[in-house]
Amino acid sequence: MSRTSKQADGDIVRDFLSVADLLEEPQLAQLYAYLAREDGTTVQDVMTDLELAQGTAYTYVNRLVDAGVVEITRDEQPRRYAAREIDLTVSTADGEYTITPALVDAVGRRETDGDIDTYIDRHGIAGLATALTYAVARARGETTHRLMARDLDISPLAAEIVLQALRPVVDEHFDVEASGGSLEDVTDEDTTNDA
Amino acid sequence: MTALHIADTGLFVAMGQPSNTRFQAVERFAHRNEITFQLPERVYGELTTDETTGSTPPVDAAIEAGWASIAAPLNFSNPIVSRVMDGVQRYIANVDDRPADEVEQADGALAALAAQHLSAGAVNDVYIYTTDVAAGEGAETILDAEGYGDAVTFVDGFRFLEDLISASG
Repeated sequence: MSRTSKQADGDIVRDFLSVADLLEEPQLAQLYAYLAREDGTTVQDVMTDLELAQGTAYTYVNRLVDAGVVEITRDEQPRRYAAREIDLTVSTADGEYTITPALVDAVGRRETDGDIDTYIDRHGIAGLATALTYAVARARGETTHRLMARDLDISPLAAEIVLQALRPVVDEHFDVEASGGSLEDVTDEDTTNDA
Repeated sequence: MTALHIADTGLFVAMGQPSNTRFQAVERFAHRNEITFQLPERVYGELTTDETTGSTPPVDAAIEAGWASIAAPLNFSNPIVSRVMDGVQRYIANVDDRPADEVEQADGALAALAAQHLSAGAVNDVYIYTTDVAAGEGAETILDAEGYGDAVTFVDGFRFLEDLISASG
């Protein structure tokens, strides 16, 4: 990821650097995604839900506040915090992509999801951002894992694996209608198989 | 009444490894209902040819255990088979807004396999388990146009697994 030059100044530069930090530190990304999900939480909530030590929780929350991506929504004790919207386009050697809460959430999951971690190692954050757009389109019935594989020149299996890894992110951040039948549509019928 | 159960790549990826409760739930479901999931050759190829992804989906374990098998090759000299294959490719091309010749044949193979068995009178019902909504809905749409609307069900692979787990939990 490219960094801005030192002589540049102002809020835009500060935001850019802070968001870049978010993507490079999965624990910060995870915390940002948590604060975006739970509107108005305390450090105590963060410690409990993310299983962080008190010192670590305060350090992380303060870094996000200093970076301007999290705001204090109630100043009396216990303070409450909420995530600010992020929508920032970044240019890299691999092309442009937009950093959104959904992408930050996806990156934060690399800590606990080996498939997302492997995909970022191979294709970068820009690659994961592209995969996320395919994951949304696939869930909406607008593309298939095979078309994604063809477009990105990866194997259909690799495409299917990352699409499935990103599915919880799609469910969390986008409206997708359920489609197709489920178990009851199979078991309603006589399912004897002799083909 | 006989039924054919056709599985796509995504179902096997979503099951996880044989130690996973999802894999075990599908195995129990298949044994209990005497189901053998049929995999089009192209689907089997997708599941087994990329060894760089880390963990290979457990399709061979399912085949050895007898509840999955590789389907017989598609017979394209049967007009309905090639017609359905083309139809699904056009359907997917349309929803994805791209030329039909860019759509992979494996997307149409699920429905084409269904057409082959239905037109031979070998089965009355076909269930297509896929995680690609466009492929599932395309199969239902095109086979409906061939007069098999009541015989074909697209089963969402994710919802199927979630329901199996909650039913067994």
